[in-house]
Amino acid sequence: MSERVKKIVSTALVVMLVLGVAGCGQGSNGSKEFAPKYSSDTEYKLSIVGTYSNFESLESALERFYEHYPKGEIQYTYLDDYSNTIEQALAGQEPPDIYFVKPWMYGDAQLGSVFDSAEVLSDPELKIDLDCIRPGVRWEMNNGEILTLPIFATSYGMLVNMDIFEKENLKVPKTFEELKQACEKLKAAGYDSPVMGANTNTTPGIGYAFAYPMFAKAVKDDRSIENDLNNLVPSAGETMRESLTRLKEFVDSGCIDVDKCAAEIEDDYNAVIMRFFEGDVPMMLCSGDVVSGTKKRESKSEAFTENPFKYDFYVAPSGDKGGYYMDSMSILFCVNKNSENLDMTNEFIRFLTSEKELGLMAQEKRLITPTKDYSLDEVYASLSGFPEDRTINFSDTEILDTAVKEFRAAAYAVINGKMTVDEAVAGYGTISGK
Amino acid sequence: MKKRYIIIINTLIVGLILFIIVKYANDRAAESNHASIASFEKMTTTTEQIIANYLEDEQHLCDIWSNYINRSAEAGTPMTIDEAISYIRKAKISPEISGHLIYIDDGSMAGISTTPSTTDISDYSVKYSHISIFDNLEISNVNGVVNLTRAYTNPLNGVQSIAFLNNVKVLDSETGALREGLLIRVVPVSRLEQKLVFLKGEYENVEISIIDWDGDYMIHGKSLKNSNFFEYFKSYNPMTTQEYNKVVDTIRTGIGSMHIRNSKKEDSVIAYTPLSGLDSWFLVAYIPAEELSANRSIDWILLGIVSAGLIILLHFNIFILISFNRELSVAAEAANQANEAKSHFLSTMSHDIRTPMNAIIGMNEMILRDSHEDSTLMYAESIRTAGNTLLGIINDILDFSKIEAGKMEIINVDYNFVSLLNDLVNMVQRKAEEKGLTFELDVDRNIPRIMHGDEIRIKQVITNILSNAVKYTKEGSVIFSISSSKCEDSEDHVILHVSVKDTGIGIKKEDLDKLFVAFERIEEKKNRNIEGTGLGMAIAQSFLNMMGSKFQVESEYGKGSVFSFDLKQKVVKWEPLGEFDAAFKRFLSERKQYRVKFYAPKARILVVDDTEINLKVFVSLLSKTKMQIETADSGDACIVLFKRNLYDVIFLDHMMPDKDGIETIKEMKACRDTPNQKTPVICLTANAVSGMREMYINAGFDDYLTKPIDTSRLESMLLMYLPPDLVEQVTDTTIEEEKKAEIKHTVLVIDKDVTVLRQVKEWLDDSDNVVVVKSEEQALAYLKKHEAELILMDFESTSPNEFDESKIIRSHFREISRDEITSQVKEFFDK
Repeated sequence: MSERVKKIVSTALVVMLVLGVAGCGQGSNGSKEFAPKYSSDTEYKLSIVGTYSNFESLESALERFYEHYPKGEIQYTYLDDYSNTIEQALAGQEPPDIYFVKPWMYGDAQLGSVFDSAEVLSDPELKIDLDCIRPGVRWEMNNGEILTLPIFATSYGMLVNMDIFEKENLKVPKTFEELKQACEKLKAAGYDSPVMGANTNTTPGIGYAFAYPMFAKAVKDDRSIENDLNNLVPSAGETMRESLTRLKEFVDSGCIDVDKCAAEIEDDYNAVIMRFFEGDVPMMLCSGDVVSGTKKRESKSEAFTENPFKYDFYVAPSGDKGGYYMDSMSILFCVNKNSENLDMTNEFIRFLTSEKELGLMAQEKRLITPTKDYSLDEVYASLSGFPEDRTINFSDTEILDTAVKEFRAAAYAVINGKMTVDEAVAGYGTISGK
Repeated sequence: MKKRYIIIINTLIVGLILFIIVKYANDRAAESNHASIASFEKMTTTTEQIIANYLEDEQHLCDIWSNYINRSAEAGTPMTIDEAISYIRKAKISPEISGHLIYIDDGSMAGISTTPSTTDISDYSVKYSHISIFDNLEISNVNGVVNLTRAYTNPLNGVQSIAFLNNVKVLDSETGALREGLLIRVVPVSRLEQKLVFLKGEYENVEISIIDWDGDYMIHGKSLKNSNFFEYFKSYNPMTTQEYNKVVDTIRTGIGSMHIRNSKKEDSVIAYTPLSGLDSWFLVAYIPAEELSANRSIDWILLGIVSAGLIILLHFNIFILISFNRELSVAAEAANQANEAKSHFLSTMSHDIRTPMNAIIGMNEMILRDSHEDSTLMYAESIRTAGNTLLGIINDILDFSKIEAGKMEIINVDYNFVSLLNDLVNMVQRKAEEKGLTFELDVDRNIPRIMHGDEIRIKQVITNILSNAVKYTKEGSVIFSISSSKCEDSEDHVILHVSVKDTGIGIKKEDLDKLFVAFERIEEKKNRNIEGTGLGMAIAQSFLNMMGSKFQVESEYGKGSVFSFDLKQKVVKWEPLGEFDAAFKRFLSERKQYRVKFYAPKARILVVDDTEINLKVFVSLLSKTKMQIETADSGDACIVLFKRNLYDVIFLDHMMPDKDGIETIKEMKACRDTPNQKTPVICLTANAVSGMREMYINAGFDDYLTKPIDTSRLESMLLMYLPPDLVEQVTDTTIEEEKKAEIKHTVLVIDKDVTVLRQVKEWLDDSDNVVVVKSEEQALAYLKKHEAELILMDFESTSPNEFDESKIIRSHFREISRDEITSQVKEFFDK
């Protein structure tokens, strides 16, 4: 190819790129202002069912929707025993118009109808602006259809007390080496356990929050192992070695006092937040769901009320070149394609599918927005522009819940000294059952 | 009242009315709101009754099912779980309602349902182990009461439902054992919600919620955010924990309503009531407050109309007020002009009468001073009396004018009561005697001699009633009684009791009211010959009022009258008066004869008056002060002298032709080329109406003296304004010398030659009173009526026998010199 042709092609590509970016920007801007499709006098009654007992951020979004369509009502209902009742509800006398789904439901044979009942949101006729959703959390089915609208994203990492770092004149560590150095300095400054977390085998627990993203990255890098992992083939346990070794190293380095964590943090949610609000924990390992509980608990913590401090969410710096960002979906909405009020349901989904609305909901819930704009909640500002090569999103792996449970159990066993890394690797497939 | 104030008051009244209207409207609206809220509460309790009845009915149906199953068990033929469900399936009517029967004795919470799962129509199994609706219920013994669960998801059809419970005993077909079961009548929440549709007719935006003890919803109103009512309330209604707990307790324990803020911070009302027959369930009715607020638009329209009406009324009032004010201004202007005319008349009259009076009284004063002839003195005295009477009438008019203008003042001074009494007696006694009336004097000897009060006004009051008594009594007597008694409430005061009783014409009762009315004369026609202005009694009464007293009048028409009054006077000397006659004589002996108050030979006075006679009077009256008095007969002449000579005091008349006193003094004040810039200028005027003093002072005069001139006041004023170094005090020696100098002997000169007589008269005239006659006969004629102390005769003349030889000096008048004859006469008198 001649030099001239190369120039033309590259110029054309650059122009397309610029136009594409500009177009995307325009699209985003356009979506900011919702234009009602129907008359404001339209009467309607919709229902949303889900797993949240309290969904105030949705109620706020509904209020904004009512400004366009004041003559209707959308009612959110918590379903008891959701995974066992959602199918019945969809088939029942009062089927919901919109319902929650979670990623783990996909592939669950018992919940097949949940996805079968979902409307294809990517249908161009619906004019739902799914482009505002980050590609990593945009769930496309095998046939390229999008059945779900991610409402919240979540991740795993740590809450950082920014005031302590500022006071000790430290930067928030980005690599494992920096973490160790920071912890040494913090320990010298009197912080016995610079990093804390819930000593549980759950997702917000120490082992999962610190090491699972690294494990997921390993799977992402070698998808060939995925099936064996999901099928709990023992040899696949080798995939855990690197992350479990780093976890062990992390515990052994003295960055975290596991016993202290076990003694002072009773559960993986409320206790984590309240302990962090005591103000003497520089870094608290947790999940994004835990972070979502911080806003409401600020006023409930006497220590935080008396001495408030600034805190942000960071990925755990487990890798040598930096931490790994698990860009996971938390809650997604599906539209019941059999809805009696499908038009207005779609209108509501169209209203909701915007950087603004989803951003506002995420901000109020203090979960990570599924859109490209992280700016609404500064707690998650560190995730903006996170390097793609260390980001693991939903589509990068297909690790099933069974494999995840094995990793959580292995991590818990390693950090509590119940297993060595070798034993855990060798025991893959049997650990969670013990 | 100024227009501004009237507008302000009107505006305030309008504002007040509007305020009252607004307040009334608000009160009515508040009442209406209260009524609306009360009605809303009533609706809430009615709804609660409907719901409670419905729930009781549902529970009752559940109980019927359970009773039937349990009776079978009690009868020894217990039903299996399948039989029980089969029975319920037959018994239930509504397809929406289902029955679940689960085992609770093994904790499995599993059983079967009357309806299959919506996802598998062959599956009737049901399991409640993952649905936490029994946490707060004693499910092993729920019989006897309405047992309601929270809203939950029916595990078979995913419909939000409520469950009514009762215990049943069923037979385990596998083991044959009798097992504890829980019968659940499952009712969709939507069925309950349908019962509330009727409310929409009455309240468009009402939302009914049913909450449990913790605030969790069974029925969830659209506007009530959050899954828990109490959390919702706390989120949007910030308050202290104590206040929050109080609100929660209030809702849990009573029936009522309260205002809350919704999620949009809007004012809303909730009415709450517990669901009767149920433990820990509460009905909460929510409505935006504005829907309960009275519609005030009509009130505002009314308010606008009233406001506009009041503003129109205000402008109309102001318009009318301005019109009236214009008319009043015209009337006031006319009244002012009339008043000015009256003042002008009084001023002119006073001035025009006083001007000649000044000459009459002044010159008469000189006669009284200088004359030694009894008859002349008698005539002069009569002139003085008549002059004073005329002056009194003028003064009455001026006094009345002052009283009317409110400018009359009481001036208290120390006075000798004997003197006052003497003046009164002197004045009235002679008049009474002239009319042939008996004047009786009854004076309390204990009256203090020196008192403090307005002697002039007291004298004026008593004079008035005494002269009236004399004037209106033709025959009989006038009795003047005066006594004193100690004042009880003030140690240094006495009460003078003054009474004048006459045997005059008396006053009819109906005329008594007219007595003190100005210008009213009783029986005018009858008494027209009696002098008087009709002002005297009115003035006297005014004076008494000003001194804290008033007249008492007793009168019998045709027989006489008694005028009396009591007057409080401060005592200066408590020495009693004693017998008046003796006191009067003593007073007379003590009273100093007129004498000049000072000498000021170096003082230089300028007096300006257009009337020559007044200038002469002025100069004469002050002749004994030996001051250098210059005169000017016009304003212009005054200015010339004013610029040229230095004067110590200048007296300037007001009413002068060409340039009057005011214009003159303005020119004088403006003049810088004069040695008299600091010289006091006193207005000497016959204008004595009220307010004149202020007018003259404002015009630039230093003081003010009225004509006719009172010598004593004139001298006092001069003493006040003359530089002290120019004033010489009058001593007894100088008076004696003066007296001596003043004694002129009467010398009768008899000679045929008129030239000689003239010569001798000229020589002796300065020192003696020289009477010249040409013959002995003329001398005898003179001596019959007069007395001569010395008779000068020529040697050639013969002296008649009637001549007293010891008084005769003979001389050759044609040969004798002035000195010789002067020394002879002096020698004679010295002997």
